[in-house]
Amino acid sequence: MNKFPMLLDCDTGVDDAVAILLTKYLNTLELVAVTTVAGNVEVEHTTRNSLQVLELAGMTHIPVYPGAEKPLLGETVTAHHVHGQNGLNDMVLPQPARKPEHMPAWDAIYEYAKKYKGELVVIAIGPLTNLALAIAKYKELPQLLKRIVIMGGAAVGGNVTPCAEFNVYADPEAADMVFTCGAPVYMCGLDVTMRSYLTAEELDELAALGSKQAVFTRDVMQGILKFYRTYKLGGVAFHDPVTVLYADDDSYFQTDHAGVRVETKGELTRGKTVTDLYSDKQMEHNAYVVTNVDRDIFKKRVFEIMVKYGE
Amino acid sequence: MTKKIPVILDGDPGHDDAIAWVLAAASPLLDIKAVTSVCGNQTIQKTTYNAGRIMTLVGLDVPLAMGRIKPLVADAIIAPTVHGNSGLDGPVLPEPKNKPVDKDACTLMAEVLEASEEPVVLIPTGPLTNIATLLLLYPQLKPKIKHIYLMGGGIEFGNWTPAAEFNILVDPEAADVVFKSGVPITMAGLDVTEQALVFPEDFERIRAVGNPVAKVVAEWLDFFYGFHRSIGYPGAPVHDAVAVAALIKPEIMTMVQMYVAIETTGDYCRGTTVGDRFGVLGQPANARVIMGIDRKAFVDLLAEAAEHYGKGA
Repeated sequence: MNKFPMLLDCDTGVDDAVAILLTKYLNTLELVAVTTVAGNVEVEHTTRNSLQVLELAGMTHIPVYPGAEKPLLGETVTAHHVHGQNGLNDMVLPQPARKPEHMPAWDAIYEYAKKYKGELVVIAIGPLTNLALAIAKYKELPQLLKRIVIMGGAAVGGNVTPCAEFNVYADPEAADMVFTCGAPVYMCGLDVTMRSYLTAEELDELAALGSKQAVFTRDVMQGILKFYRTYKLGGVAFHDPVTVLYADDDSYFQTDHAGVRVETKGELTRGKTVTDLYSDKQMEHNAYVVTNVDRDIFKKRVFEIMVKYGE
Repeated sequence: MTKKIPVILDGDPGHDDAIAWVLAAASPLLDIKAVTSVCGNQTIQKTTYNAGRIMTLVGLDVPLAMGRIKPLVADAIIAPTVHGNSGLDGPVLPEPKNKPVDKDACTLMAEVLEASEEPVVLIPTGPLTNIATLLLLYPQLKPKIKHIYLMGGGIEFGNWTPAAEFNILVDPEAADVVFKSGVPITMAGLDVTEQALVFPEDFERIRAVGNPVAKVVAEWLDFFYGFHRSIGYPGAPVHDAVAVAALIKPEIMTMVQMYVAIETTGDYCRGTTVGDRFGVLGQPANARVIMGIDRKAFVDLLAEAAEHYGKGA
């Protein structure tokens, strides 16, 4: 079976790192490039981390294109308290042997979209600044993409505020540009990602598979387990990894066609992904909202991929 | 015999306000001291007239006062698509027996609070304009307000806009005043009221009670369900009656303490009730938010209230 080319736009990041590892053994998608953005930590960290994790995955043929160092308009928001000073929960990986590319992320997104003529899937798991800049610069870009799958937002609730999720909150204007760009946008928000968790015991089972990638996954995710107690979750959410798995195979997820716009002005609600999914009032249905997952299958897929690293 | 709870009913009837008041007037637990109208589902003239008609129907002989002509700051929004041109379309109702008193809603509420030995429970089932006006004009009377049981908002979603529920959207500034007031609040928002569905077979159960009030309630449900059926509901969400039910039968509901703030600005979120379920804002809880209800027990409560008005004619 021919796989679709996939570009991963990320702010690596603890769970971004695991998402990168999962891209190696997908069924329907083939990673062709990584672009980086400021988000969890500053872009110099997310770029270096991406190079390091690609090395850990044995995917040193994948180029890394550095992107935006700050959001389009708002103040820069980071999450060092979750992801540590270096973005990988202060775990130290070998310095990367490679350097990032010179071409900026937004140009790279366009070049790959052109190259693959409507086949490219963009998975964006950080703030959407790079995609927004690419859309702003290249008006034909949305028509050149197969689809955009994002980790961001929430139909219900939030994490950084009661009603905003971190990636959208970090650049609400960019997110609204992406939702309204015209390409099919699939939103893996907290609704699904908070249901895609592994418990501490399951992380240990994963590490017991023995590969350095599986052990890394346990170690890096274990470090952020404590933050999920706030949300009364019995494990650690695999926000970014599950988004990659959704893009690869949506058959064990619930997806609804819905309207989504991003509140950019509210005093309390800036960064809220406003959806008509549960409301009498309907909006133009411009996006797909992923609302549920079969957690057992999610877990099985993570383990299947990690097993392949040991083979 | 236990002492009755003194209450003031404040609403914008409205079919679900009307059913809420039928429930309240039937309850042996409540001592209704006054009724006040607010603009919301329809103009203040229409909701006041409807309030008088409902009071006559259920034999509620207490003072009625008309509320503010419009929300505190915003322009009025009305809902004729849901409640009809009169605000209470459907069955023929008796003309009001008494005229509204010659004073505004917040003055009547303040007089009731001052005169009452016991602190009074307020049950607003429309926009919070009158309650906010009361709190702004008579802050010294806050200790005389025992609790506010309100229908409004939604932690998870809206109805009139995707992120805002009608009552809060109509007067977000008033809602902001109320939620910041420090008075204990129980919030019956869409999270619970859209679970409080009354199905067509329940309408028939109530109609079969047979007395004039029961028949009118069934016809109100028929009308009110019309709009909801057209947008895919399997029953009528009798929103406002949940606020009354929360006071007289809290054991059929699940409630969660949380901090709730009102968004008053924004392109899409004006009128959103922001509920901090996980305490990320570090603010103390200011409301008890109802998140679930035993639907069957709620319907039983409505049917029993209908029986209170006598055997079938």
